[in-house]
Amino acid sequence: MLSFVFPLLGRFHPILVHLPIGILVFGVLLIFLSKKEDKTYLPAIQLAFLLGSIGGLLACISGFLQYQFEGFSWDTVQFHLIFGVLTTAAGFFFYGKSKKITDPSSLKWSSTALIGALLITGHLGGTITHGEGYFTEVMPENLQSLFGGTAPSAQPLTLPEEGWEELAYYEEVVQPILNSNCQSCHNPRNKKGGLDLSSKEALLKGGENGSIIDSHEFLKSSLISRMELPLDHEDHMPPSEKRQPKKEELQLIRLWLENEASFDLKLGAAKPEKKWLEPFFQREEIAFYPTVNLTPLIEDSLAALRNKGFYVEPIAKGSPLLKVSCINFPDFQDQNLQDLGALNAHVVYLDLSGTQVTDEILRGLTDFPNLTVLKLSQTAISGNSLNQLGQSQKIKLIFLNQTEVSLTHIQSLTAIKSLEKVFAFETPASSELQSLGNPTLPFLLETGSYLLPKIPTDTIVY
Amino acid sequence: MSVEKLLNELVGKKLQTQTRRHFLLDCVSKMGGLALAPLLFGCDLGKNGTLNSGLQLSDRDLNPLSPLPPPFLGKAKSIIYLHMAGAPSQLELFDFKPELAKYHDQDCPESLLEGRKFAFIRGVPKMLGPQAKFSQHGESGAWISDYLPHFSKVADEVAFLKAMHTDQFNHGPAQLFMQTGSPRLGRPSLGSWVTYGLGTENQNLPGFVVLTSGGKTPDAGKSVWGSGFLPSVYQGVQCRSKGDPVLYLEDPSGMSRDLKKHVISAINQSNQEDFQNFGDPEILARINQYEMAYRMQIEVPEVMNINDEPDHIHQLYGTQPGEESFANNCLLARKLVEKGVRVVQLYDWGWDTHGTDHDGSIDMGLRNKCRTIDRPMTALLLDLKQRGLLEETLVVWGGEFGRTPMQENREGKKMGFLGRDHHVDAFTVWMAGGGVKKGTSYGITDDFGFAGVDERTSVHDLHATILHLMGFDHEKFTYEFQGRPFRLTDVHGELIRSVIA
Repeated sequence: MLSFVFPLLGRFHPILVHLPIGILVFGVLLIFLSKKEDKTYLPAIQLAFLLGSIGGLLACISGFLQYQFEGFSWDTVQFHLIFGVLTTAAGFFFYGKSKKITDPSSLKWSSTALIGALLITGHLGGTITHGEGYFTEVMPENLQSLFGGTAPSAQPLTLPEEGWEELAYYEEVVQPILNSNCQSCHNPRNKKGGLDLSSKEALLKGGENGSIIDSHEFLKSSLISRMELPLDHEDHMPPSEKRQPKKEELQLIRLWLENEASFDLKLGAAKPEKKWLEPFFQREEIAFYPTVNLTPLIEDSLAALRNKGFYVEPIAKGSPLLKVSCINFPDFQDQNLQDLGALNAHVVYLDLSGTQVTDEILRGLTDFPNLTVLKLSQTAISGNSLNQLGQSQKIKLIFLNQTEVSLTHIQSLTAIKSLEKVFAFETPASSELQSLGNPTLPFLLETGSYLLPKIPTDTIVY
Repeated sequence: MSVEKLLNELVGKKLQTQTRRHFLLDCVSKMGGLALAPLLFGCDLGKNGTLNSGLQLSDRDLNPLSPLPPPFLGKAKSIIYLHMAGAPSQLELFDFKPELAKYHDQDCPESLLEGRKFAFIRGVPKMLGPQAKFSQHGESGAWISDYLPHFSKVADEVAFLKAMHTDQFNHGPAQLFMQTGSPRLGRPSLGSWVTYGLGTENQNLPGFVVLTSGGKTPDAGKSVWGSGFLPSVYQGVQCRSKGDPVLYLEDPSGMSRDLKKHVISAINQSNQEDFQNFGDPEILARINQYEMAYRMQIEVPEVMNINDEPDHIHQLYGTQPGEESFANNCLLARKLVEKGVRVVQLYDWGWDTHGTDHDGSIDMGLRNKCRTIDRPMTALLLDLKQRGLLEETLVVWGGEFGRTPMQENREGKKMGFLGRDHHVDAFTVWMAGGGVKKGTSYGITDDFGFAGVDERTSVHDLHATILHLMGFDHEKFTYEFQGRPFRLTDVHGELIRSVIA
């Protein structure tokens, strides 16, 4: 019935440990404050060592109880426990010594050993509660490396699309998955459940419930089974409020276990399904916009353009490429193009739809070497000068909707080798197409005029 | 005694009580206030709009809707989200289950019911076979039923998510979940997040416009387009396709536009003076809002007017100007996106087909309902495509959950009409346009269409994917609130790579 008493006493350990620290340090301080042959503090020193050592004894007892009842493993506590007992013993030793001497200053140097023992014990204890690297964590990285090792990095798994077969299954697939999903709670500094998942050795060692890889029935290993429990299950890992691994990541761990958790296996030999690898392939996307080296944009020059009425934004944060639109600048005229002069190489997207531009604008546009998207819809351009765009070799999309552009004008665009699509909805070209049929063009011509003919079901009401 | 005398006496008494001590005591607190003043941000402004401490006011401080570049190069710059409020039946539209037909009118197997709760189904319901005829369409061979004969022509433009799942089986919470990422009130809607992140391109129009049809607004109320904890300027602006597009935008009779201009410039001048005195950037934001409202008065009625559209466009959409209809809203959506509006959210009410009456029946009411969206939504895709807008506009279609493969048996009784209950384990959503892989289908449900068996996608996954297409990393797009950063996807969400081009 009183079984709670011991665990409860154990829980007083974190409080009681401060008694010996405070009182013994006070005793040693008094020794250092004593001049040679000065006995003034001697009674106080004796008392401090006695009380401090008794405090130490209480800390030892409560600490041992906590170790017994709170599920700490011997590995975790061993040094802290040994040093704790040693410190307490040293405390009593100095108490005995201080009873015999007459000159406290004679203890000066030997008593520093007591401080040393206190520091070591305290630090080891702190490591148990706060985790290893409690101090180094807040240090700058170069200082951290001085104290041995930086925090484990947790880059998500990436695989090369070519040659993934040759990857070491454990080291280059399983471990990265564990790193990005599990390591924040299961690392050498912070072993939740006594489990460290940061290395092969630690993985094999398992946690406080024993091994996490079942070498008889690999698929029953708790490494995978706990991750495959329903999310609302108490034992589900990672905890439900944490980010969950991708299902492909689980598949890959499962497959590794199916292959008897071999540490020498190559990924290719395990024959994973391609779709499990798909999400991890690092693809070099073929950039839509040109990749060119340009000076970074200066905010002031953008602000100046905005004040003139342009919509100007980098295509993405930090990109030197610019998207320019005259959506709020319907009075834009040909000569206003000069305002963009200094940034001409940066402009990749230029929307002049609905502005006052004329055929003249096309001559000016040749000064924009990286122009990729050009919108000239709903303008007065006739198309006669479209051939001038032939010098631009980066343009991919041209919008000419609701202009007077004819099919011959559009054919003159074939000089632009990079051109992918031209939009010419509601133009003479669109009606010409309907009568003449499709000319062969190296790019896609979208003239729209889609219709959804009436069908009987349009009017049947059930 | 006259009142005057009384007042004089009062002043005299007051003066007597004001001692040197009062003065000194007061000084202590007032001096403290003076000392604090320069430390406070808002009071630290020079006259040129820069902070004396060297901080530069950003455009965002002055105009919260000013555009921002996306963190990454997004494929889409606008979204049109078509939300079918009430939840359409995936089993009659996209998720073809021939196997289910064989079990029509048989008792539902116990295994499907174990441990499950339904909104209305009680006891053991009968299975309900598909009521539509399915066929494959386009080069992609997408299964689409005869309920959507027009839409089937654009099958190759679309990516289907067929194993969507949610965890809310009531309309309100499920709609909130679908639109805000949380079934409870208080989170910003998808549209608000995007508007907050990207601002708006057209400075004369709101960044986030909401249009409703079907006679009712969504069950969850206006919170589905609310801004939650984001500044309220990012909430959706509900416009009407019938009558004034925005309520109270029209000048009252007798109030000329010139007069309005005078009023606004007088208010702004007074605000400007306040700004000179106090230097609070909020005042500049307010000045901006007045100016925007003034500009909106011109541009909104113009963009919201579909009368000037050519006949072939009206025929394409099946629009009737002056109506409050999904067709009109689709046409408006295109016009708004064309004008640079960031997010257009359409809600169409009336998809809750329980089988309680004719309109709510799977074989008749649903068919009628489908007819009202089939042509308009197909027209929307085609119209965006022919204008080149589909390259940079993301179109999303879906309800808040799916419907059961079982026939509803409200109160355990057989119903007068064929109906399906709310269902969280499987439903279909489609996406098209900016950055979406055309002609794909992702997600497989079991033979009954009861639950996803492979490639399941959650509401958070959908949000993550939408944000990705707009140029955001859903894990990094956060807003600091109540001491922690918040995300649209909370701690969930995985990119659905298979539907990204």
